[in-house]
Amino acid sequence: MNETLPGVARHIAAAAALACSQLLLAQGGQVHGNFSMDGQLYNDDEQIGAVKPPADFGLNSWTNLNYRSGNGIFDAGIRLESYEPALLGYPAGAAYKGSGLGYRYATFRKDGLEVTAGNFYEQFGQGLAFRTYEERSLGVDNAMDGLRVKFSPDTGIYLKGIIGTQRLAFDKGTTQGIGIVRGIDGEIALVEAFPTVFPKLAERGNNLTIGGSFVSKFQPDQDPLLELPENVGLWAARAHYTNANWDLYSEYAYKINDPNGSNSNIYKPGQALMATASYSTKGLGISAGAHTYDNMAYQSDRGAPSLFDLNINYLPTLAKQHTYNLPATLYPYATQPNGEVAYSGEVFYKLKRGSKLGGKYGTKITANWSGAWSLDTTRLPNDTVHLMGYKTNFFAMGKHQYFSDFNVELRKKLSADWELALTYLNLVYDIETVQGKAGKPVIYADMFILEGLYNFNDRNSVRFELQQLTTKQDHGDWATALAEFTFSPHWFLAVMDQYNYGNADADQRTHYPIGSVGYIRGGSRFTFSYGRQRAGIFCVGGVCRVVPAANGLTASITTTF
Amino acid sequence: MRFPLTSLVLLTALASCDIVDLPKDGLATPIPPGSGTVTRRVLLEDCTGHLCTFCPEAAVIAEGLKGVYGDRMVIVAVHMSSTFAAPQAPVGDGIYDTDFRTEAGNAYEQQFLVNGLPKGLINRTPFNNSMAISRSSWSSAVAQLIDQPATIDLWVDSLAFNSGSNAITATVKAAVLTALPAAQNLTLYLTEDHIIDWQKDGTLPLGQQDIPDYEFNHVLRGALNSPWGEAFIPANAQPGDTLETTFTYPLPGNVLVPGNCSLVAYAYNNAGAQRYEVQQVAERKFTP
Repeated sequence: MNETLPGVARHIAAAAALACSQLLLAQGGQVHGNFSMDGQLYNDDEQIGAVKPPADFGLNSWTNLNYRSGNGIFDAGIRLESYEPALLGYPAGAAYKGSGLGYRYATFRKDGLEVTAGNFYEQFGQGLAFRTYEERSLGVDNAMDGLRVKFSPDTGIYLKGIIGTQRLAFDKGTTQGIGIVRGIDGEIALVEAFPTVFPKLAERGNNLTIGGSFVSKFQPDQDPLLELPENVGLWAARAHYTNANWDLYSEYAYKINDPNGSNSNIYKPGQALMATASYSTKGLGISAGAHTYDNMAYQSDRGAPSLFDLNINYLPTLAKQHTYNLPATLYPYATQPNGEVAYSGEVFYKLKRGSKLGGKYGTKITANWSGAWSLDTTRLPNDTVHLMGYKTNFFAMGKHQYFSDFNVELRKKLSADWELALTYLNLVYDIETVQGKAGKPVIYADMFILEGLYNFNDRNSVRFELQQLTTKQDHGDWATALAEFTFSPHWFLAVMDQYNYGNADADQRTHYPIGSVGYIRGGSRFTFSYGRQRAGIFCVGGVCRVVPAANGLTASITTTF
Repeated sequence: MRFPLTSLVLLTALASCDIVDLPKDGLATPIPPGSGTVTRRVLLEDCTGHLCTFCPEAAVIAEGLKGVYGDRMVIVAVHMSSTFAAPQAPVGDGIYDTDFRTEAGNAYEQQFLVNGLPKGLINRTPFNNSMAISRSSWSSAVAQLIDQPATIDLWVDSLAFNSGSNAITATVKAAVLTALPAAQNLTLYLTEDHIIDWQKDGTLPLGQQDIPDYEFNHVLRGALNSPWGEAFIPANAQPGDTLETTFTYPLPGNVLVPGNCSLVAYAYNNAGAQRYEVQQVAERKFTP
């Protein structure tokens, strides 16, 4: 009997957990899960500036295990994460390292009430007041750890309350931020909740939802030089109207004084207003959007290491999220949370089948534009009493253009086997503001992209892309060629090369070839790639992380059960 | 029920908002400890770069703290990052040509995962779970560490600069005051003030952000005895023990005016969970 007391306790706990799990499964419960991993073996590559890390190899992996009871009133789950060590450039914010528990929760539902204890993701409206989410490709995860209560007292009425701290980093388990986040949200779907009050709206298939939120963060003030607000509140109101053709949404948020690292400790309140409208009918879609964000970075630590960390709210972008390699990774736009005015518009039209321009299969045309500018502000350098920093002319554009993207896509099916898409983009990109590359001039770029799909037969196809970017700034002209062969149902093969043929420095006219092979079996997918990865940035929803140059072998596995 | 519910929400909202009208009003100046007490001084390593737009603002914050704490705080400006501190093409035009980076700064950037500037390492102690600390938290982080009871006292006992050999000879002494958390390494920095060169300042209006005659102070010119220093105090040193080391090093080749230089010496944990944490720091100017 040499076993220590903690050792015995561990065995008892494991036995209890096993017995408990068998009991839960015996009651008709189900366990589901998924697993994904990305590993990379690195090489040095002086030509592209890729440096092999000391460990030679990086690995990120995630394993989710979720249980749901047979009667559906109880859920519980965990996520185990490994960063041994994390892939280069991952994550976007504070570092991840080691293996351990990254997420755990238990939820039960009863009589319109839902209670979650532990970790959770949640969103109020479009997120101007509150949004916690995981975007694994970026390494952004600001999950709450605390308590969430949802309650629906009647049809069409939804109430939420949250409290807890946010995930900051990972070191053999999550590291939490210092601040406590509290919030409440209420939403009423008017037609659903009061059908007798709005009978005509209900008859015509209209929906009108209004909502409001209040969120507050608490962080102690330890600063001897400034009186910092320990409780910083933000409120938001929103309205959403839909019918068969129209979708209108608007949300406004106001934040009280929130001196923090990203706004140079000024005490000016923040505000945000966003509005989107879309109209669609058969063969035609039109959408437009506008927003202004002024001093709206809202993080649960006023000294958060970066704008990627501990964000309480989320500020959506209006820029189109491209999927083609060059526009997606060279000059994508990132939202400027502390000051921007942005607009967007898009028209989609389908030329009918059989018409002169539509041809046998019809033709799809999409024209899209988005632009972002600085705020129209006046600095207040002499305000050493209230420390307001600047004043703003609400929703007025400043003289500094951050970004514009005009693009047109023509997509046409030529025959039963052939489909082509031709895209043109014109880009204005202030790389100094968006990517923080000080002293770099604004980039003016044009891009042409040809995409094609050819079906050899029902099982085998090839998809290809030819992309060209011309600019006199930054690294000059680029070209990309891609071919993806699919041999259903199991295999795929891809080769791609990016070539910086227009670099002013002849020694930097570099090729970035990469080849991939993949195998799919049931719910599992295996991918292996070898080649060069160009340094760039990768964005999702206006949030971007820097991707360093790399050379090596990458292996990815995803599976579900 | 509507009124009580609305009242509850409003009360919650009001209770969770601290509106501050006069941020600098009514704050008490930190009281220095009594003259007979040895307390912990704070090393602020200001991670900076000449293209970092908010680094001048960070430097102002650091100087503001120095103004409050005086000799109880030591600032070292560590230039780092290829993005923010590398010379800018075309090299030779005199604009952002100077490379202020050092081997030590590059090593610290890697070791402490300094991502994005400005950042500060404050006694190399995490604050709110972050080692590289944003400038808005420097004041709080320094306040948390400064004037704690010291485990050791450290001072530059003598310092001499020989202009003929362009070398310094100095003696650094330490007195162990309480049991140490770990063995201590001693690192020696050579810093220089009053360097005039180009700096970007994002707080200025567009078109005026490139400052040709910015004054750089506390610039790290090099770690004389390597970025990680050398063993100085063993872990089993007892309270009452005193140690000293005497050394001669040539000045780093990038020093412009020796008279503007200072020697910074600090002792830090070279093992344990709080490895790298600075226990004590001392600074002595060449020209008092």
